[in-house]
Amino acid sequence: MATDLTERVQEIAEARDVAESEILEQALERGVEDLWIDLVLSRYVNDEIDRETAIDLVGRDRVKRAERELQVVEDDVQWGLSA
Amino acid sequence: MIVAVADTGPLIHLDEIGAVDVLSAVDGLLIPQTVYEELKAGTVPPALSNLEYELVEADPTELTVNLNLDPGETAALAVASDRSAVLLTDDLEARDAANDLSIEVHGSIGVIVLAYHRDQLTKSKAAELMRALQTETSLFITDSVVEQGISLLENSS
Repeated sequence: MATDLTERVQEIAEARDVAESEILEQALERGVEDLWIDLVLSRYVNDEIDRETAIDLVGRDRVKRAERELQVVEDDVQWGLSA
Repeated sequence: MIVAVADTGPLIHLDEIGAVDVLSAVDGLLIPQTVYEELKAGTVPPALSNLEYELVEADPTELTVNLNLDPGETAALAVASDRSAVLLTDDLEARDAANDLSIEVHGSIGVIVLAYHRDQLTKSKAAELMRALQTETSLFITDSVVEQGISLLENSS
């Protein structure tokens, strides 16, 4: 995995003609953003924050997608347990 | 008696976690020829050969709604409609289309829970597979949503 990451960083840096350090900085920013979104959605799904707060933090589309997924998963679990 | 027709999603996602065999939890499994051809374009899950299923032809012209789905999903929907079968799909748009047609629809998570309910899996193994669907497959689903589903399962009697 570490070798894969190193090779990918090198390939991206070469393709964009920028320093590898810049690619690593961008990767860190994107990674933290993804983890932040996961955290906000988790808090919303677990009723730790309200809907409007979640929308303010990660956007309406992501919140609606999580709500739709939750509806589907709950429906599937109920079906599996009762069919 | 549960007769279900699968599109490519559950077949691929369950294969990615080594759990194609949970599909034997349904009483009859139908796979449209179109879906099988889509699998063949990549790799047909080898474990599928251990399952009993029927390859079926679909007639999507019978569907009365305007679909924006891929051919496999459309074929599976047509078979589900024609045979009053449960549609198995992990695609949200296909689920919406099924709901519009009043076709019962569920996905990989439903099949895993059904396999637990029918004593093919322990509760902990079912939870493990549900979590693996989120972490180890190409299925996109928010991790906290899967955890909610696992909580529902774990709190069931």
